[in-house]
Amino acid sequence: MNKFWQVAWHEYSRHVFRRRFLLALLSVPIMLMVMIVLILVILWTNSNPLPVGYIDHSGILANPIPQPVAKWPERTVQMVPYGDETTAKADLQAGKLQAYYVIPQDYLKTGQAQVTNENKLNELTAQQFNTFLKINLFSNQPADIASRLIDGSEIVVQSTGEGQLSVEDRIINLILPVIAGILFIVAMSTSSGYLLQAVVEEKENRTMEIMVTSVSPGQLMSGKIVGDIGVSMTQLVVWGAFLVLALLFGKNYFPFLSGFRFSGEMIGVILAVMIPAFVMISGLMAAVGATVTEASEGQQILGLFTIPIWIPYILIATFINNPNNPIAIVLSFFPLTAPMTITMRIGLASIPTWQIIVSVSILILSAVGSLWLAGRAFRLGMLRYGRRLRLKEIFSQQRV
Amino acid sequence: MPTVELSHISKSFGSVKAVNDVSFEVERGEIFGLLGPNGAGKTTCIRILLDIFKPDQGKISILGGAMTEAKKDKIGYMPEERGMYQDIPLDRCLVYLGTLKGLSPADVQQRMAGYLQRFDLLTSRRKKVKELSKGMQQKAQLIATLIHEPELLIIDEPFSGLDPINTQMVKEILREQRDRGVTILMSTHQMHQVEELCDRIVLIDHGRTLLYGRLDDIRQQFSGHAVIVGTPGELPTLPGVERVEEHNSSSWRLSLDASMDTQQVLRNLVERGIQVNQFEIAAPTLDEIFINVVQKADQELE
Repeated sequence: MNKFWQVAWHEYSRHVFRRRFLLALLSVPIMLMVMIVLILVILWTNSNPLPVGYIDHSGILANPIPQPVAKWPERTVQMVPYGDETTAKADLQAGKLQAYYVIPQDYLKTGQAQVTNENKLNELTAQQFNTFLKINLFSNQPADIASRLIDGSEIVVQSTGEGQLSVEDRIINLILPVIAGILFIVAMSTSSGYLLQAVVEEKENRTMEIMVTSVSPGQLMSGKIVGDIGVSMTQLVVWGAFLVLALLFGKNYFPFLSGFRFSGEMIGVILAVMIPAFVMISGLMAAVGATVTEASEGQQILGLFTIPIWIPYILIATFINNPNNPIAIVLSFFPLTAPMTITMRIGLASIPTWQIIVSVSILILSAVGSLWLAGRAFRLGMLRYGRRLRLKEIFSQQRV
Repeated sequence: MPTVELSHISKSFGSVKAVNDVSFEVERGEIFGLLGPNGAGKTTCIRILLDIFKPDQGKISILGGAMTEAKKDKIGYMPEERGMYQDIPLDRCLVYLGTLKGLSPADVQQRMAGYLQRFDLLTSRRKKVKELSKGMQQKAQLIATLIHEPELLIIDEPFSGLDPINTQMVKEILREQRDRGVTILMSTHQMHQVEELCDRIVLIDHGRTLLYGRLDDIRQQFSGHAVIVGTPGELPTLPGVERVEEHNSSSWRLSLDASMDTQQVLRNLVERGIQVNQFEIAAPTLDEIFINVVQKADQELE
């Protein structure tokens, strides 16, 4: 195995196969699973399986078609026809029904029906009765039209300026970018933290001197960067997969999530900004690690890098109002704010292609620059014990 | 062709000249001592040699030319500041460091078992490095330095932290390595170990070469015209002896007239019926040479 890969594998395996990493890795899926189980339990307990009665004076339900079977854990409520209200009321009082509906003769004119129940009407039961009623109302329509009418409408707003396209509920479209952004920051913090720790520790315990007599500083540094990016990618893939599963699962139970879509273009742009940003931050962290003398000092500097990355989240309201406003455009071109800004803007509007190209180019150049900086800082600072490497020295003419 | 050749090497860090025009060669199969007081520039020389630092001036040849990545697999380096991964088990650490020297994990495992046995670390192989004592870590470091059977060994203070038994074992290992044809460059402050092990030395101070050559030649160069005589009683006045000083409780140091032959001194002692328990040519110890040379150089600099 090439020494670069040996370094990368060592760096990866020393973190990933630790108990505390596995616990952290599984914490998100476990948390999601607990949330899902809780939601399912709430849905199951919220749905009331007792039958619902109806007295139909309109004739709509003369030959009723049953409503679709409810998705588990919601339980399907049986709709029971009654000839008169007295019997239905007696059964309600006897606890055989949870409610009964009276559909008046002029229902088609007024659209009004009356419901009687002992306690508060169960919302899920009401939804099932509404669906039952709608299905029978549209029973003489072609199946596709009936289905369209039952599902309701989705309004798409097309703006005339700058080819902006946004759907009615912008918040839903922010789900993927916001989640991707948070995952990016968490993963970046993880891998940067590990990288910083690895470089500073090797300086502190003097392993560095042994290492550079076995591998080149370039192989050592890039192996570490790749290994630590691998650690956070493992986190991202596992967490991301569970989150997507949770969202897809949640779509079935939460109507507000039904607008949630995966777009290949959106994912492509997010990856195009995040990959170079990841390399850039990792390079900077390796440089910081080689420069400082203690891990705690490096953590403070890591904090300085993290603040600008969060700035777009602070400005989220501005972006929702106008994703292409001048602040958003400027932040798209600054390396530390670009990943989050572009990620959020792509969820809200279509960004002009030239802006994406410029932003990605700036990020790639910044990544290359940070690797160069890391390389110099690493060679100059790797054996500097007890005294911090100054920025001036990195840019000096000193041979490395 | 020498295994290591440093030619007129200079290196500065800011305004500090760490190494100033240092040259020396290390021949194949010898144990070479790199000596000097603290801050003399020894570690900088070693780091330049290993291509960790680039020199400002001068040329380096190692194993027949410039340093390459492939040559790193033929070099074993043990720095003064020991470096091992603290948070992983000893065997895993050795496998990692061994594979970085071009060995397969299976080869490392096989060789490691023998070394662990010899260094009495076999039962500690699964322990984390940080759980080992300083001496044990020192031995583990030596295993990491030797496991890939290097052609050139560069070791800085190999005896620090070792008890007399382990010191003896390390000395045996160094001699074994030399007998196998391995070139050894050793940096240490323990002059008696240098006297015991090294064939040739270089002494540097303030980045400059003060002494360089065969150990015997250097001692010869610094020896005065004197003999050490061990006798239970007082010494009478002897011809050709300029001064008599007490060497220790049972021996005397006799400084001789330039024309006096040392063998004649011995004959004179025997003819006078003096009991001679010890008779040797007085040569300064390496410690004495070291102190004299360094102090003189420091005075010159002041």
